[in-house]
Amino acid sequence: MNLARISKRYLIMGMTLLGIVLAFFLIGLIWTPYGINDTDAAAKLLAPCADHLFGTDNMGRDVFSRCLAAARYTLLVSFAGVAVALVLGTVAGLAAGYFGGITDKIIMILSNSVMCFPGILLALVAVAVFGPSLYNVIWALGLVFAPTFARVYRSGTIELMTRDFILQSKVMKVPPVRLMYVHILPNLMAQILPAVITGLANMTLFESGMSYLGLGVQPPAASYGKMLSDAQSYMTVAPWLIIFPTLILVFYILGLYFISEWVRTSVRGGSQ
Amino acid sequence: MGNRVKFAAGKLCEFLLTALLVSFFTFAAFSIIPGDAARVMLGTTATEEQVEHLRTELGLNEPLAQRYVSWLTSAMRGDFGKSLAFSEPVSELISSRLPVTLGMSLIALIIVIVVSFPFAAVCSRRPGKFTDRALSAAGHILFAIPPFALSMMLIILFTRVFGIVAVGQYARPSDDFGKFLSCLILPAFCIALPKIAMTFKFLRASMIEYSASDFARTSKSHGLTDFMILIKHIIPNSAVSSITVISLVLSDIMGGSLIVEQVFNLPGLGRLLLAAISRRDFPLLSGIVFYLALMTVVLYFMSDMIAALIDPRIRDRRTS
Amino acid sequence: MRYKGNILEVTGLNLSISNGSGVPARILKDLSFNIRSGEILGLIGNSGSGKTITSLTIAGLLSEVATVDSGEILLDGEDLLKKTPQERRRLLGEKIGIIFQDPSSALDPLQTVGSNLNEVLSIRSDVVNKEERRERILNMLKTVGFDDPDEIYGRYPHRLSGGQRQRVLIAGAALMNPALLIADEPTSSLDTVTAMSIMQLLHEMCQEMGISILFISHNLDAVHDFCDRVVVMKEGTVIDSDTSWDIMGQPKSSYTAELLTNSRLDTRTLGIKPGFASEDAETVLTVSGLSASYGKGRILRKRTPPIISGIDMEIKEGECVGLIGSSGCGKTTLVKTLLGLIPASSGTVSSSRKLAAVFQDPVSSLNPAHSIRWHLKEALRCSGKPLRKEEELPAFKKVLNDVGLDEIHLSRFPHQLSGGQRQKVSIAMCLIAEPSVIIADEPFSALDSSSQASIIKTLSDINHERGTAMLIVTHNLRVVRAMCSKLIVMDSGRIVESGLTETILNDPKTEATRALIEADLYGV
Repeated sequence: MNLARISKRYLIMGMTLLGIVLAFFLIGLIWTPYGINDTDAAAKLLAPCADHLFGTDNMGRDVFSRCLAAARYTLLVSFAGVAVALVLGTVAGLAAGYFGGITDKIIMILSNSVMCFPGILLALVAVAVFGPSLYNVIWALGLVFAPTFARVYRSGTIELMTRDFILQSKVMKVPPVRLMYVHILPNLMAQILPAVITGLANMTLFESGMSYLGLGVQPPAASYGKMLSDAQSYMTVAPWLIIFPTLILVFYILGLYFISEWVRTSVRGGSQ
Repeated sequence: MGNRVKFAAGKLCEFLLTALLVSFFTFAAFSIIPGDAARVMLGTTATEEQVEHLRTELGLNEPLAQRYVSWLTSAMRGDFGKSLAFSEPVSELISSRLPVTLGMSLIALIIVIVVSFPFAAVCSRRPGKFTDRALSAAGHILFAIPPFALSMMLIILFTRVFGIVAVGQYARPSDDFGKFLSCLILPAFCIALPKIAMTFKFLRASMIEYSASDFARTSKSHGLTDFMILIKHIIPNSAVSSITVISLVLSDIMGGSLIVEQVFNLPGLGRLLLAAISRRDFPLLSGIVFYLALMTVVLYFMSDMIAALIDPRIRDRRTS
Repeated sequence: MRYKGNILEVTGLNLSISNGSGVPARILKDLSFNIRSGEILGLIGNSGSGKTITSLTIAGLLSEVATVDSGEILLDGEDLLKKTPQERRRLLGEKIGIIFQDPSSALDPLQTVGSNLNEVLSIRSDVVNKEERRERILNMLKTVGFDDPDEIYGRYPHRLSGGQRQRVLIAGAALMNPALLIADEPTSSLDTVTAMSIMQLLHEMCQEMGISILFISHNLDAVHDFCDRVVVMKEGTVIDSDTSWDIMGQPKSSYTAELLTNSRLDTRTLGIKPGFASEDAETVLTVSGLSASYGKGRILRKRTPPIISGIDMEIKEGECVGLIGSSGCGKTTLVKTLLGLIPASSGTVSSSRKLAAVFQDPVSSLNPAHSIRWHLKEALRCSGKPLRKEEELPAFKKVLNDVGLDEIHLSRFPHQLSGGQRQKVSIAMCLIAEPSVIIADEPFSALDSSSQASIIKTLSDINHERGTAMLIVTHNLRVVRAMCSKLIVMDSGRIVESGLTETILNDPKTEATRALIEADLYGV
C-alpha cells in the first residue's frame, strides 16, 4: 500500500464526513422541518420515524431539526476559537523562537502557566467569571489553545534559525518581520496545518463538554452538548437522543482528523 | 555531579515560579471581575447593605496587592477561606471530593499506559500492515467521541444489550473501598479511551522513528533481533520522549473527569465546581481552580524529574 | 603482505529498489569484486553510485523495498544470500562488523558506552560471565585508543566527541573479532585530524587483528595510501579496479581519471589559479582587534571567555584569502562576526561595500518553500539596487551563467537541485549583491569530489573575471593551494600565522600549521 493511495483515501473519507456535517450546517441555516423549540405534547420521546427522522425528545421537540440548527454553533465556536488561538500563538511563538533569550523565557513561562490549568477548567472559570455566552466561550477556548500553537511555532522557529538560508538572509539584512514572513511561516505550514485541524477537533470536544455542563451555548439556541445533557435522564429509554447528536460530533471530529492525516501524509510524500 | 545539582535547582526554581504565577493568575481571574465582585456574587436582588457586608467579609475593600499576599499566605497553609454556598471551609469541601477525581484520574492513567505501549509496539513493528491500520483506525474513532457521550453510549450498551446496571451506587472509600473502586472503573475507562488514542498515536510515531534511528541500526549490526532492539532501545527511548505527552494526557484526564463524573453521578470535584459556578461561590471556585492547577504544576515538575532520571542528556543540559 | 585467498567474493550482483509504483529501479548492475583476507579494499564512487547499498547488501541490513535479483555473495566460501535471516543476523557482529558515516546518534543515548557495547557479547552464548564481558570490552576500548577505558565504559554517549564515538563504534564492530569490517565513509563527518587518527586505527586493526576491511569513500585520492586495492563504482557497476598504486598512477578508465582530477584538484586540468591582488588594488576589508564571545544573555556575556580575540586582517580587491584551522579554532565564529551575525565585543570591521556569504550546508542553504527565481529576486531586493522588471531576467541569466547554471533552473525549487547546484545558487545570490568580499565557509565540504571541484572552479572564475575578493574557510589544503594567494592560520581563537600561501605551507612556523599539513598529507 503506497503512501499516495493511503493519503487519497484519507482525503476521501475526511471530505465525505465533513461534507455530511457541512450539509447539516447549510440546511440548518435556511430550513428545519420543525421549529427547534416547538414542543408537541402528543409526540414525546418518539423513536425515529418518517415524520421525525431522528425521533423526538421528552418535550416533543424534533431531534432532526435541533441537530440541523446546532451545527452552526459547533462550527462557529471551533473556527473562531482556533482563529483566536492561532493569532495569539503565532505572535507569541514566533517572538519567542526568533528573539530567544529573555523574551523567550517570559513567553514560555507565561504559556506554561496557562497550560497548567487543565484546559476545560480555564474555560469554565472564564465563563463563570464573565458569564456564559458564546463570545466568552470563544475567547476562553482561544486562550486555552494558544500555547499549543505557540509551542509548535517556537520549536519550529528555533530549528529553522540554525538553517543556512536564515543566516544568509540575516547577512543580507532582511528585516525580522519580513524574514519571519518569507522564511519561517511558509516552512512551518506543514507543522501548523495539522495542529490547526487537530485544534478544531479539540475545540469541538471542549465546546460540547461545556455546553453539556450548561456553560457553553445557551438556550434557546440548540447545541449538541446541551441536547446530550437534556437527554441524560432518558438515555436508556430513548437512546436516539444520544446517538444522533453524538454521531454528528463524531463525523465532524473524525472528518477533521482524516483531513489532518491527509495533510500530513501528502506533505511528507511531496517533499521526498 | 555539579551539573545535576544545578539542573535540579534550576527546575525547582522554575517550578516555584510557575506555581507562583499560577496562584497569581487564579487570584487575578477572580479580582478582575467586571463590576463589583460582591454584587456579581449576590445577584441583582441584594440590598446595598448586604453587598457592603460581603465586601468587608471578603476583604474587597483592601488594596489588591495586600489581598493577594494574604490570600497566598493562607492558601499556603491550606486555607482557602469559607465557602459561601456551603458555609464550610473550602479545604474540607475539596478534600472530601478529592478521592473520586484523583482515583478516577489515576485509574485512567494506568489504563492509558498499560494499553497504549503494547499496541504501539505491535503497530510500530510493521507500519502500514493490517494490524497497524486497524488499530490506528480504531484510535481515530475513539479520539473523535467526546468522553461524556462515550460514557452515555456505554451505559446504553450495558443496560440495553447486556442488562447490567452500569451506574453503580457510590460508596465512600472509607466505607467500602472495593465498591468505591468498582464505581470508578467505567468512568475512568471512558476518560481513558480517547487519551489512549492520543498516547498510542504519539508512541507509535516515536517508535517507528526510533526503529529507523542510527542506534537501532548499530544494534542490528551487532546482531540483535528486532525484538531485543525493541525492548532494549526503542521502548526506553520512546518512553522518555512520551513523558511530556503523558503528563499532558494526565492533565487532560483530570479536566475530563470533571465532566464525566456528571454522567455517572459521582460526587467529585467536578460537581463541586459546577455548584460553585452556578451559585457564584468565588472563594470555593478559586480554591478548586488553584488546587487543580497546582496539582498540574507538581505533575509537570515530577515528569521533568523522571525524564531527567532516565535520560542523562537532560541532566547534563544546563537549564537554559 | 601475503594474502591467503578471498574472504569475500561478490559475483554478478543485481539489485533493484521498488518505490511503490512503477518499474523497480535497478541500483546494482552485475556487480562483481572480491576482498582478499587481510587486505583493505577501497570502494570508491560519487554519491548515487550504489556503494552504500552494496555494503548494506553484504551486511544483510537492506530495507524491504530492495530485492536482490541475482548474484551471489560468498563470505569464506558460503553464499550469504542463501542463508536464512536468522543465520545472517548471527553473522552480524560475529563475522561481519559494520560502522557508518555519522557517529553522532549511532549509540543509544540512554545507555552508557559499556552497556551499549555489552549487547554484542551478551547475546552470544560463549561469553556468559559478566566480569569476562567487561574485561573484553575494556581491552577493546584500550585497543581502539582510549587511555582510560574504565572511565569511558561508564560514560554516556552524549559526553563523547564525534571521534570518540566512532572509536566506540569500531570497538563494538570489532569486539567479536570479525573476519570482515565494513566502514561506510567513517570519517566524512569528522574533522581532518580526527579523521586521520580513525584511519590509522583502522589500519592498525587490519594489521594486528587480521581483519579485512571494506572501506567506502567518495574521495579516490584520499584513500590511496590507506587501501591495498581500489574498486571504482559508477551507476551500480564496477568501472575500474586495481591496486591502489596502479590506479593512481595509470587509471584505466576515463571516469577514474576524472575522479582523480577532481579529488586531487588538478589545477591545470581544471584551470584554476590562485587569485592575487594587483599592485594598485584597493583594500576592501579591514579588520582590526576583533574579539567576540558567545554569551547566553546580556548579563552573562562578560563571563564567557572570548572565542576569538585580537583578529587583524586585510583583504584587497581581487585577492583570494584562505582561512584554515582545526575544528573549534574559531573559524566559524570569525566568519559570523565579520558578517555581523555575532556582535563583536571589541574591534572593528570595515568594508568598502557589503559582504556576502556562502555557507557550509547545501541542504539548508536555500529556503525549500521558494523557487530559485524568488531567491535571486530576494537577493536583488536586499542589495538595495532594484532593477526594472525587464532588466531582471537578463541579470538573473547572467549570474546563473556565471556560476554554471542555466535559465531553466529559475523556476526550479531547491529540492529539485543537487547539493552542488544549490551551492551555486547561493553563489549567484552573492553575485547579485555585488559584494566587496565573498566569504565562503566550507561551501564544498558536504559535497562529493566532482561537485567540490566544480564549485571551486566557479569561485575561482568569479574571483578572476569579476575581481571579487574572497575569503575561503576550509580544512582542505588542496583547495587553499589551488585558489588562495594568501593564507591565514587560526588556532584557539587567534591568528597564529598569515602570509603568502606558498611560504606558509612550505615553511610552517607553528605547531598548529604543522599539524594541519600532516593531517593533509594523510589525504583525509
